[in-house]
Amino acid sequence: MKKIAFAISLLVAFHYAGFSQTSKLTGIVRSAADSSVLAGVSIEVKGSKGGTVTNMDGQFSITVRENTVLVFSAAGYASQEVPADGRTRLNLFLQQSEKAQLSEVVVTTALGIKKQQKTLGYAVQEVSGESMNKSRTPTATGALTGKVAGLNISNTTDLFQNPTITLRGKTPLIVIDGIPDPDADPFKLNADDIESVSVLKGTAAGALYGALGVNGALLYTTKKGKRSVLNVEVNSSTMLQSGYTVVPKVQTQYGDGDQGKYAYVDGSGNGTEGGGWIWGPKLDQKVAGTPSGFYETTQYNSPVDPVTGKLVPLPWISRGKDNIKNFFQTGLLSTNSVAATIGGDKGSFRVSAAHIYQKGVVPNTGLNNTSFSVGGNYALSSKLKVETKLTFNREYSNNYPTVGYGPPNILYNLLLWIGPDIDIRDLKNYWVKGQEGLQQRNYNLSWYNNPYFVANELLNGYRKNNMFGQATFDYQLSRDLSLKFRNGFNQYSIDQDNKEPYSYIAYSYISKGNYSVTNTNYIDINSDLILNYHHKISDDFSVSVTAGGANNYRNYKSAYATTDGLTIPGFYSLTNSINALKGTSTLEERRTASAYGMVDLEALRFLYFSFTGRYDKTSTLPVNNNAYFYPSGGVSAVLSDVLKLPEAVSFLKLRASWAKVNTGFIDNNNPYAHLTVYNIGTKWNNVPSLVWPSTYISPSLIPQTVLSGEYGVALGLLKNRINIDATWFRNKESNNFVNVPQSQASGYTSVLTNANVFVRKGWEFVISGSPVKTRDFKWDVGVNFSNNHLWLKKSTQTTDGYITYSDTYSGSHLVKEGQRTDMIYISDARTPDGKAIYNSNGMQATSPYAQPFGNAAPKWIYGLQNTFSYKSISLTFSVDGRLGGLIYSTTNQKMWWGGTAPGTVNKYRDDANAGNSTYVGPGVVVVSGDATYDSHGNITADTRKYAPNTTAVNYISFMQTTSGAMLNHYYYYSGSYLKMREVALTYNVPTRWLKGVFKTASASLIANNLFILAKLPNVDPDAESDNLQTPSMRSMGINFNFKF
Amino acid sequence: MNCLKISSIALLLVSLVSCKKFQDFQVNPNNPTIADPSLLLTNLEQTAFATISTDPALACRYLAYTEGASNSQYYGWQRGSFTYGNISQTVKMEQEAARVGKTNYRYIAKFLRSTFIVNMTQEFGDIPYSQMMQSISKNDFTDSAAIRPVYDKQQDVYLAVLNDLKIASDSLSSTAVAIGGDIIYNGKIDEWRKLINSYTLRVLISLSKKESNTVLNIRQRFSDIVSNPAKYPIFASNDDNGQLPYYNITGNQYVYYNDNSMKTDYYLDSSFVDLLKGLKDPRLFVFGEPTTASGLPAGDFSAYDGLVGSAPLAYNTSKRGQGKASQINRRYAYDAINEPSVLMGYAEVQFLLAEAAFRGWISGDANAFYKKGIEASLEFSNYNDTYSASDITNYLGQPGLDLQTGTELKQIVTQKYISMFMNTGWQPFYEQRRTGYPVFETAGSGVLNGGKIPARWMYPSDEYTNNAASVNNAVKSQYGGTDDVNGIMWLIQ
Repeated sequence: MKKIAFAISLLVAFHYAGFSQTSKLTGIVRSAADSSVLAGVSIEVKGSKGGTVTNMDGQFSITVRENTVLVFSAAGYASQEVPADGRTRLNLFLQQSEKAQLSEVVVTTALGIKKQQKTLGYAVQEVSGESMNKSRTPTATGALTGKVAGLNISNTTDLFQNPTITLRGKTPLIVIDGIPDPDADPFKLNADDIESVSVLKGTAAGALYGALGVNGALLYTTKKGKRSVLNVEVNSSTMLQSGYTVVPKVQTQYGDGDQGKYAYVDGSGNGTEGGGWIWGPKLDQKVAGTPSGFYETTQYNSPVDPVTGKLVPLPWISRGKDNIKNFFQTGLLSTNSVAATIGGDKGSFRVSAAHIYQKGVVPNTGLNNTSFSVGGNYALSSKLKVETKLTFNREYSNNYPTVGYGPPNILYNLLLWIGPDIDIRDLKNYWVKGQEGLQQRNYNLSWYNNPYFVANELLNGYRKNNMFGQATFDYQLSRDLSLKFRNGFNQYSIDQDNKEPYSYIAYSYISKGNYSVTNTNYIDINSDLILNYHHKISDDFSVSVTAGGANNYRNYKSAYATTDGLTIPGFYSLTNSINALKGTSTLEERRTASAYGMVDLEALRFLYFSFTGRYDKTSTLPVNNNAYFYPSGGVSAVLSDVLKLPEAVSFLKLRASWAKVNTGFIDNNNPYAHLTVYNIGTKWNNVPSLVWPSTYISPSLIPQTVLSGEYGVALGLLKNRINIDATWFRNKESNNFVNVPQSQASGYTSVLTNANVFVRKGWEFVISGSPVKTRDFKWDVGVNFSNNHLWLKKSTQTTDGYITYSDTYSGSHLVKEGQRTDMIYISDARTPDGKAIYNSNGMQATSPYAQPFGNAAPKWIYGLQNTFSYKSISLTFSVDGRLGGLIYSTTNQKMWWGGTAPGTVNKYRDDANAGNSTYVGPGVVVVSGDATYDSHGNITADTRKYAPNTTAVNYISFMQTTSGAMLNHYYYYSGSYLKMREVALTYNVPTRWLKGVFKTASASLIANNLFILAKLPNVDPDAESDNLQTPSMRSMGINFNFKF
Repeated sequence: MNCLKISSIALLLVSLVSCKKFQDFQVNPNNPTIADPSLLLTNLEQTAFATISTDPALACRYLAYTEGASNSQYYGWQRGSFTYGNISQTVKMEQEAARVGKTNYRYIAKFLRSTFIVNMTQEFGDIPYSQMMQSISKNDFTDSAAIRPVYDKQQDVYLAVLNDLKIASDSLSSTAVAIGGDIIYNGKIDEWRKLINSYTLRVLISLSKKESNTVLNIRQRFSDIVSNPAKYPIFASNDDNGQLPYYNITGNQYVYYNDNSMKTDYYLDSSFVDLLKGLKDPRLFVFGEPTTASGLPAGDFSAYDGLVGSAPLAYNTSKRGQGKASQINRRYAYDAINEPSVLMGYAEVQFLLAEAAFRGWISGDANAFYKKGIEASLEFSNYNDTYSASDITNYLGQPGLDLQTGTELKQIVTQKYISMFMNTGWQPFYEQRRTGYPVFETAGSGVLNGGKIPARWMYPSDEYTNNAASVNNAVKSQYGGTDDVNGIMWLIQ
């Protein structure tokens, strides 16, 4: 026995021969906060593969060499390096990482340069990838909702639609590992690959990205190899869309028809079929003398009497009370990923694979998303390092729903334009018998499509391959000087096809079948060469200088072809076209060449200055004006490092920054927007045509400029238990690319030129802290709220101070200098105190000039993240929303118009059905006088006298003409809401149960979109607009995470 | 590896991806910058000859609408819009024609521009004319007259149009370089001359209230054309019609083909039905459908009834629901080709001659012109040979159809009105505004505007934004400072 032991030790000794003495080191790891023992702490031997973890009692045992350095790390704690120094016993206390001083927080800034947050003169907020990988959203971007002050993410309820991202009111640049991604496809990034997201909010932050970064940037840093033992992580989430957060409520008492009449003829909608309205007879009316005892009328599913050849009346009863619920299926979001990383002295690498499967709530819809990624780094020599990453991603769907109000939208045919007389399940058989493939079966064949027909036959196919990555070489020229060369690219190809079946209806169109194909190829290449010099002059002064050059090239190519009718129904091929094929092709190229520099100064250990300058030359402007320069400067003063402050104040920093950014991109989607060309006109009987544009493009366009200033304060209280950060910014936008309207009698309706000055101002607050912290229980909470609004400061092209302006909120309207730009105008006539004005016929009157109604932009947006931890259990939830601002709701307007809104169930409706005009619209009529308007539509004199409207009209005609807009705030509703965004209840399995198989394991119950409190009825205001959205679904599921 | 090597390799890599010069990006590869005028002509013809719209049909009491309260039907309209964008296309076509030396395009441009101008001045009154199009023709964006053109007196506009039309007719040459892209006359210059001269007659008749105006001298101009057919040929049959045919190709189909509202919400107006029934006019069978309640065949006059254009919507939807109203004929929604869109047809020319003869502007038998016009209209409208040649003869042979003393103008204009059902744009409305025929029924309580038929449209609101001083002057000098749909413009004073 002893001999054997001796032999083994000899072997071990031999193994280590030539190295130094080995010894066994044991010890216990505890938390510095409360001295509790820490299980599962990873202990790695620096520079080798060896390592261990602490057991449930915090104990560990490891064989080490004399000069070994051990790295202790555990989630939630700052890792610590300890030299073995020949010790045999080591008791260690780990500091909790969140206790790290604010002054030590490092964030990623422009060009991927990591800087200490305390040195920055501008606002940066970082979100860790960890916070995004439990409760899943279809895109990694969606998971940022409500987490960053100033970042507004509008999530759509529709499948496979991008969330809308605005940062300080504008669309920010997306950067992945230092490479700008102008396509900003939120579906291409695997959430489990994200290490962190750094949000550079202002123009100053983005100054180094040039024109691309004029609206700030979201910097995604992905996980790469780390120096460590082999780590494998598996993350799996499955969520079911098992209920409705918001689902429209419809009336169930009146069926299809008009003026209380309905009798099916042939489905064309005319005559007694009532034109497709849901203003038909009352359902479930008992009458004597019918076979069923109910009122009966012919319906689309009436059998034909074999003797008379006429349709047999069927009872008029409410069969379709649950059409929406009966039609939709349970949606599913399943995310599975695996990643492995390993690393040593020279280098490391990481590979990952992920798959997301999404099953839509609409039958026959879904989305697959697969990602593979490999990345790593290696020290090629002591001076030259290389880092690289390559990701392949494929998004593919055989069918996803078409969105927006209109016939291809399922909701159009399922919610708005189907009466409760129809049970949706009776329509599952969607072809007319004997005309399969040619004629859909539906209750109405001139206006609407059978929802099952749309889901199964009108198919949107989409396959996109994304490839992106980069290679970076870093060469240390001397102690102070280094050179970096980075080449990155984004590439994608999209193969899209649309199948349109025979008899598909889209307003004034009945399809004879169509097949269309779009193929798109895109690539951009970004190259940067960066020289970096860092020199510490003395303990009190140090300087670092960065200088670089960059080139950006994009190439977008797309070709589209479509049939004009299909000769053979259901044979989807371009060769099958009845008339000549139609098609278009597009080639877009763009190039920007740049030089830039940055100087950072540190003085007196509390003052930090940063200056940047960038020079861009772009292909998107006329060559004589295509180069421009922009500078920025920032200062940060960490007062708590020099001043004696009250004890409660543990950190205080003031910051300020200024930047000027130019952009030469007139239209991000058209690099030729500065060139006047003919538009392609309609072919008539295959004779081509051209159209001269109605906009004149000024030949002397210069870049658009944003001048930005921001000021902020960061405050840490009570040993940084409470942290407060406040920012105020002001952006002055001048030389904007504007289509300045002119009298069309001059020859052009507008001139594209540099014009007008706008000012955008806003506040951002972030407050975070840990109000309760005991040995077992901890409460972390973070709140942010922000706003921004845009004002017209100066109209440079008109003398009267008015401009014509349009934005996403409302169409073209006038804005006067000094006014906010987001005012909504409506043309329904109203008295100065807001009462509806009626015409002599009892219908709403129209104002000769649209009048202001209210502001569209939210007053504030806010978010709250909250975590309770008790021993191995943690509960995380986040809540967010907005306050104020108006949202127009198409869904509500159409429900009142069409007759499906529950509010239309009233006695006037019964009167109208009986042919009586009894409804008197609430409001007034003008009895004398009139209003005089100036040419801007302002009322200059008003002698109108009013009397209450007394004209009784037919309720149904009234609704069909006015939609009852004056009863429903003109369908502009307050956008205020509060949403329970996500909840995760996580159980971290104690190490002692893992038996060494896993390093850590956790299971979470997760939920998204649990509930919402909102003023907007029937739709989810999260999307910040409503053009007939899919009902908002509640997702619930489970997440497993293993590391081994 | 030293620093120099690395830097030079890196710089080389940077330069590799940036080989294309900035000048090379200054050409848009997707759209042309110069064009043969034929390409512009095709587009212009699509616009100028597209006259089919339900709005005039509702305003002229041919049709009633049941989907909601229509401002055209109830005379509740307010603003109109300018169509100078079309005139820009004519200017561009002239420029391109000058570039390639194809003169005929220039005169066709003059004619097309005249049609756009006439449409606008009839709509509003005074409009910008003498200073229009300077941004495009002189590339002038600085002079305030160029970007904010003044409004010209309606009389001056008409004078300029009449002179332009004469130049166009005099100058078009069938021996000049042939024109292409002509989807109306396939390049036949003589047909264009016929159209231009016929159109000139329409403009002159529309000025009938200015018969004694010595500046315009319309009687003389009218007889100059009619008395010299060799120099000024006019339409001689329906084959000469200035019309845009439709094709069963997506985008080239009849405007209301498969249109849902056309299928479900357009019904004949009862006044129109009564007019045709009173005349035993077989065109009723191609304009409408028998009512479902009647159960009678299409060829029976008593199968037809209409809605009441002036009645409240509920009255009409209720009458419709009882199946007691005639829908517009199915062909308007279900035939991809249906009938061509007419800028001007042969029948109208005959009615113009009839009116001129009646007024004594020309010699000739007013009744003969009038009957030829009716015959041409019946032939044009005979969709799918719904009625026979003898039906036409019988109709024309009705003794009551001939012009009767004292009602000549009423009969001529009424027949012209019938001939323009769902075609020729707002022309029947303007004829009614000029002559009062036929009387558009306004008795029902649905009618807005105080029960009056508007006489014009208010100027477009963007003119108040972009050319305020000019439009305000025009409103002041014509309408006492109030831009109002009931203002009476010079043309009809």
